[in-house]
Amino acid sequence: MNSIAEQIADFLSDYAPFNYLAFEELSQIASDVKVVVLEKNQTLFQINDVLHDSFYVVSSGIINLSVISDSEETLLNKCAAGDIFGLRPFFAKNNYMMTAKSREETIVYAIPIASFRPFVANNPDVLNFLLESFAVNTRNPKDKENLIGKLISDNVFYSDQQSEMQYFQSLTYNLNPLKTTLYSSVQDVAQQMTASLTNNILICENDFPVGIVTDTDMRTKIATGRFPITVTVDKIMSSPVVTVLENVSLAEAQLLMLKNNVTHLCVTLDGTDKSLVKGIISEYDLIVAQANSPGVLVKEIKRSQTAKELKQIRDRVADLIQTSISKNVPLSHVFNITSEINLALLKRTVELSILDLGSPPARFAWLSIGSQGRKEQLLFTDQDSILIFEDVAAEKYRDVKDYFLKLGKKTTATLEKIGFSSCPNGHMGSNMQWCKSLTDWIKQYDNWMNTPGENSSDLSSIFFDYEIIFGEQKIEDAITDVIFKNVMKSTLFFDFLGNDALRNNSPLTFFKKFHVEEEGEHKDKFDIKIRALMPLIDGARLFCLSFEVKGINNTFQRFKQLSITDPKHAEIYLNCAEAFLTLSKFRTLEGLKNDNDGQYINLEELSKNDKEKLKNALAPMRDLEELIKSKFQLTQFS
Amino acid sequence: MLDWLKNINKEYPDFWKAYTAKFEKKSSRFVVFSTETTGLNPKNDVILSIGSFSVVNNSIVIGDNFEAVLTQYKYFHDNGLTNEFLVESKLKKISEPEALKSFLEYIGNSVLVGHHVDFDVDIINESLERMDCGRLKNEALDIDVMHRKLQDITDKESALDELCEFYKIPISDRNSAANDAYKTALLFLKLKSRLGIK
Repeated sequence: MNSIAEQIADFLSDYAPFNYLAFEELSQIASDVKVVVLEKNQTLFQINDVLHDSFYVVSSGIINLSVISDSEETLLNKCAAGDIFGLRPFFAKNNYMMTAKSREETIVYAIPIASFRPFVANNPDVLNFLLESFAVNTRNPKDKENLIGKLISDNVFYSDQQSEMQYFQSLTYNLNPLKTTLYSSVQDVAQQMTASLTNNILICENDFPVGIVTDTDMRTKIATGRFPITVTVDKIMSSPVVTVLENVSLAEAQLLMLKNNVTHLCVTLDGTDKSLVKGIISEYDLIVAQANSPGVLVKEIKRSQTAKELKQIRDRVADLIQTSISKNVPLSHVFNITSEINLALLKRTVELSILDLGSPPARFAWLSIGSQGRKEQLLFTDQDSILIFEDVAAEKYRDVKDYFLKLGKKTTATLEKIGFSSCPNGHMGSNMQWCKSLTDWIKQYDNWMNTPGENSSDLSSIFFDYEIIFGEQKIEDAITDVIFKNVMKSTLFFDFLGNDALRNNSPLTFFKKFHVEEEGEHKDKFDIKIRALMPLIDGARLFCLSFEVKGINNTFQRFKQLSITDPKHAEIYLNCAEAFLTLSKFRTLEGLKNDNDGQYINLEELSKNDKEKLKNALAPMRDLEELIKSKFQLTQFS
Repeated sequence: MLDWLKNINKEYPDFWKAYTAKFEKKSSRFVVFSTETTGLNPKNDVILSIGSFSVVNNSIVIGDNFEAVLTQYKYFHDNGLTNEFLVESKLKKISEPEALKSFLEYIGNSVLVGHHVDFDVDIINESLERMDCGRLKNEALDIDVMHRKLQDITDKESALDELCEFYKIPISDRNSAANDAYKTALLFLKLKSRLGIK
């Protein structure tokens, strides 16, 4: 009798590959389980450790799997409850090739290989699952999609035990290169290349590569007039071709290109130019192999066709953010890069909608508002956007509005699929209220700014942080002009915004303790968004509007600019700028840890040092508040 | 006071002799256990069930367990209580002497671990006395004492669920001696590594 074993079996039965097994079999396996408790950051096994006699299933908590390359730890994967790892002992005899470390307090079940093996042998489903998962190379982030719900391989790249494994991964390259003969004309070849959108063509004789023509050859030899366009291709080809074996590694390919000063390598059967062509490696393949660089991501976004592809890319951005932060890249840079990528994502999403709906009947602008408008979106937060279209004749108005509403709906739906949840307040271009003609929008802003109290229910300060995503720049400029024209005459508006900025309670209590949530789901956690970040964001916006600082939407940069525009209070602004970065970092780390937007900080998990840091970052807010009160002559009672 | 004098020439049951003989060697095995009882008085109350797991090399060995529901028919009869729930329960039931006999065989010379373990040990000792045996010879560790030592608390006792919350042990809604033992074992592993007990 063993009731805990049954409970473990019950737990396992929810996850692959255990769901292929009968409950009695699972009970039998469960009774051989050993339960291991790991403290935060405790290593379960590491690279080159002798294989354990068990593999592992996460029961609760999170295990990070990583490899060391270039003496840096590279995160391969996170395993959450139900994920399996440490499968190496099933298939191989050599030592572990990755490190498994708990990211938080974690409980894992160790299942002895010996007691699991019979079930593998008798059950092809289980065997297939294990083999498939073991063969998956998790370094390639594109495969992440395939891994959901599956177990995590510890089979990293090639089986050599190199420390710079990242560079020993094999390349994926074009296996069907364009080929032509020595005697085709340059014009034909150029047409062939253009038709298949490649920048290179191999010149073959009896299937052996003798030369290559690339865009560069076309430019330097044809376009300059050195050869007429009718000449045969052998006159302009670069020869001989640099050839390599199949399975060339990234590092090797890079070296060969540098050494020979070429941009393409030809893959042949035996690695010489006297054998069959198997494919061609271009510089682009090398870049792709290095995965998550921001430039590559943006490029890929531009080529994506579906929401699913975009979602995969957004997931990789999360990795990028995490690595950047762990490598201590300044947060303002991370902000910039992420917002550029997000911008590309949003833009592509609008493009995809347009591709689907047909071209728009009028010019328009899709603006991001709120955090993306301020370029401060690191984590998945909600999407806020508005749509402005140019004024059209009255009889066409209905059709036009109809089209743009459809466009808005489609775009927001796609964005939701990508992972930007929709705005709870409905601040989106798909909303009737926020998809209007330019005149209507100008009226709207006029109203807001001149009579802010009247219909304040729909006035949200996020409408004053916007960035154009897609469409006519002129429309955005028109809105900016309206805002700054009104700023001159509206003291009431500043009263309103000022009070808005001050409405939140201070983050610290009278006794210098954190004001934590008193009830609800996030009880005893610190709401960093509302209590700490919002006042700074609101303050920066308020001052920028009043000093007529145009074109800067980022809170950090706003404070920096303010310190120049208003040098008398420069110190306060600079402190706020620093504080904003520190607070954002806290939020981002919390968000990455919990895979959410990081709004609520769990103070108990912070070290004493971090708590002090957080407290210090809250200090400049008081000065900013005082400054707002004195500048806009606000009293607590206004 | 001089009880031991009474017992000096006493003939013990065989299983007890086998049990005591094991203590010539020291054990590296821990046995985490928990009992369900009819009340909190070791003298008058009796054990209803026992659940336990062993901990070896910093992991809980699920297969090396002991679980028993005791048929305390006499107790229920004497106190005029109904024992229907015991009769109806699907778990395997054994009598108290039999249960304790196998429990002693199971624990051997291991170090016992429990939550407020003194009480569990006391109530087992009472039962053993009814069977003409001596008292448990095992070392016993109390996770609440370990917790207080680690956190420097001197004045407050904590319930098992409080400890689970404090150390972020996932709490299951099921309640039984085995579940309590499992929770205690998880807590023990955490406390053990933090206190540096080998």
